Amino acid sequence: MSSDPYSDRGNKDLSLGNPKGMGTATPVKPGGKAYPAVGGPFLIGENMTGGYGAGPDILHDCTIAVDRGEIAVIVGPNGAGKSTGMKAVFGMLNLREGHVKLDGEDITQLSPQDRVARGMGFVPQTSNIFTSMTVEENLEMGAFIRTDDISGTMAQIYDLFPILKEKRLQAAGELSGGQRQQVAVGRALMTQPKVLMLDEPTAGVSPIVMDELFDRIIEVARTGIPILMVEQNARQALEIADKGYVLVQGRNAYTGTGKELLNDPEVRKSFLGG
Amino acid sequence: MMDLLNAIVALSNFVIIPAMSYGAQLALGALGVTLIYGILRFSNFAHGDTMAFGAMVTVLVTWLFQSWGLSLGPLPTALLALPFGILGCMALVLTTDRIVYRFYRAQKAKPVIFVIVSLGVTFILNGLVRFIIGPDDQRFLDGERFIISARTFKEMTGLREGLAFKTTQGITIITAVIVVALLFWFLNRTRTGKSMRAYSDNEDLALLSGINPERVVMITWLIVAGLATIAGVLYGLDKSFKPFTYFQLLLPIFASAIVGGLGNPLGAIAGGFVIAFSEVTVTYAWKKVATYVLPESMAPDTLVQLMSTDYKLAVSFVILLIVLLVKPTGLFAGKAV
Repeated sequence: MSSDPYSDRGNKDLSLGNPKGMGTATPVKPGGKAYPAVGGPFLIGENMTGGYGAGPDILHDCTIAVDRGEIAVIVGPNGAGKSTGMKAVFGMLNLREGHVKLDGEDITQLSPQDRVARGMGFVPQTSNIFTSMTVEENLEMGAFIRTDDISGTMAQIYDLFPILKEKRLQAAGELSGGQRQQVAVGRALMTQPKVLMLDEPTAGVSPIVMDELFDRIIEVARTGIPILMVEQNARQALEIADKGYVLVQGRNAYTGTGKELLNDPEVRKSFLGG
Repeated sequence: MMDLLNAIVALSNFVIIPAMSYGAQLALGALGVTLIYGILRFSNFAHGDTMAFGAMVTVLVTWLFQSWGLSLGPLPTALLALPFGILGCMALVLTTDRIVYRFYRAQKAKPVIFVIVSLGVTFILNGLVRFIIGPDDQRFLDGERFIISARTFKEMTGLREGLAFKTTQGITIITAVIVVALLFWFLNRTRTGKSMRAYSDNEDLALLSGINPERVVMITWLIVAGLATIAGVLYGLDKSFKPFTYFQLLLPIFASAIVGGLGNPLGAIAGGFVIAFSEVTVTYAWKKVATYVLPESMAPDTLVQLMSTDYKLAVSFVILLIVLLVKPTGLFAGKAV
């Protein structure tokens, strides 16, 4: 029996409760303030240490950053804390140490909603679309914080992902894996973010779709939006990366440009399969 | 021919019209339950007593208005007091959310814990309502009693059977249609409504999209308070206001929500009518209708009542069992139970 009184006991009866879609994040609470912090890259999570709720630390003094016009890629073995690092940068978990800075401001104390309002867009690895809502409603929800006319942005998304326009009145949960990822990226782009964070955008899609998604991501990067991305396909990702981070057990193991990491014999041996 | 008409009239009088208005009341109640289930993710056992509280405030304000001599003419004064009842109920649910449920949300407590918490809230509300207004039956209906009374109907048509259409039944059906249309428009067309559906679908992603969870929860409670009060007042007008009956209503309301498919608003409405019609038809004495329809030699000697009205609550459970055995997601794909 678990010592946690709020754990999972007696929770399988769906006539009593509806755990599907329940939040797992322990986000930074609303009400925090941002402080000026001049200099440094456009977005940086600096010396981050922390974990989920009251659990053990997953990140240890970890730093990830992306600068204007760049694509930064985070790679590493399973359980290295790549996704956790992304969530930490987005305020989806409380940091015990370290800072997150965006565009000359320290935003460590800001809630995720406030970070969205400041121009951060995030595509999580799993459950990254509203399955019961139509494609168009998904995009609308992406633009929830905007009060201006969103039809222009929506047209741009449909240009970028033409298949979505075709399926815009279909429930997003009925789409294929690759199409779902397009909805997820489209949803994040609807805020017109100043920086886009992608957590394994190519997870679970076929190689052909994967190549196409990479092309689209490069296309988005060319419009000037910096992209911070976690990827399983380390080699392919590092080829398009300006900057690469290799995480191991929540720590920075190797850092460098994409080319440097691809040519580093240590990195090749441990993570790229020779 | 005349006999067939008489049979239809008798059927409408004793089955169709009462079941329609009872179904509308159940549907409104089940909508509240299903919204809480979908968005706050637990089965709210306090819903019956929330209805009682809202109805109680309405009754008290109605009495105040009546003492002032305020009235709506042929319509019951309670309709004038209804907005105040809704406000009172909103204040109540926001207070309970603030001092009870919010704590458990912050702990990320599992739904089953919320269910037990809501049971505690039930008992508190139960006591509160009885403490304020007493455990007895209260009358607060005034205005015209019938839209069509049985006698005028007989005189108008010359049929042997009368058809009574009570004002409260008319109001119930009309109000239910308006409320349901408004709710669906809100959930499917407005930004706030869509953000509620988004939160119900995926809390974390809603957070990433900049949707404020506490605001979604607050709006859900406000809507539920409105639905509960309207359902409670309509039921009170149609039958009578007695705190304990609302606690008992919880059972058919949950049956409706589950039969229709928990978490699905459309299902809640369908479920309400399925439960209401089955309760009424099974407990109705069919002798009169049978006598008109069947040839004289086959006329029944008994009442042809399948079950005594005392067992009407059992009917909802039998329906519930059948639906769960045959189609566990409810009639409209809700959550599989």
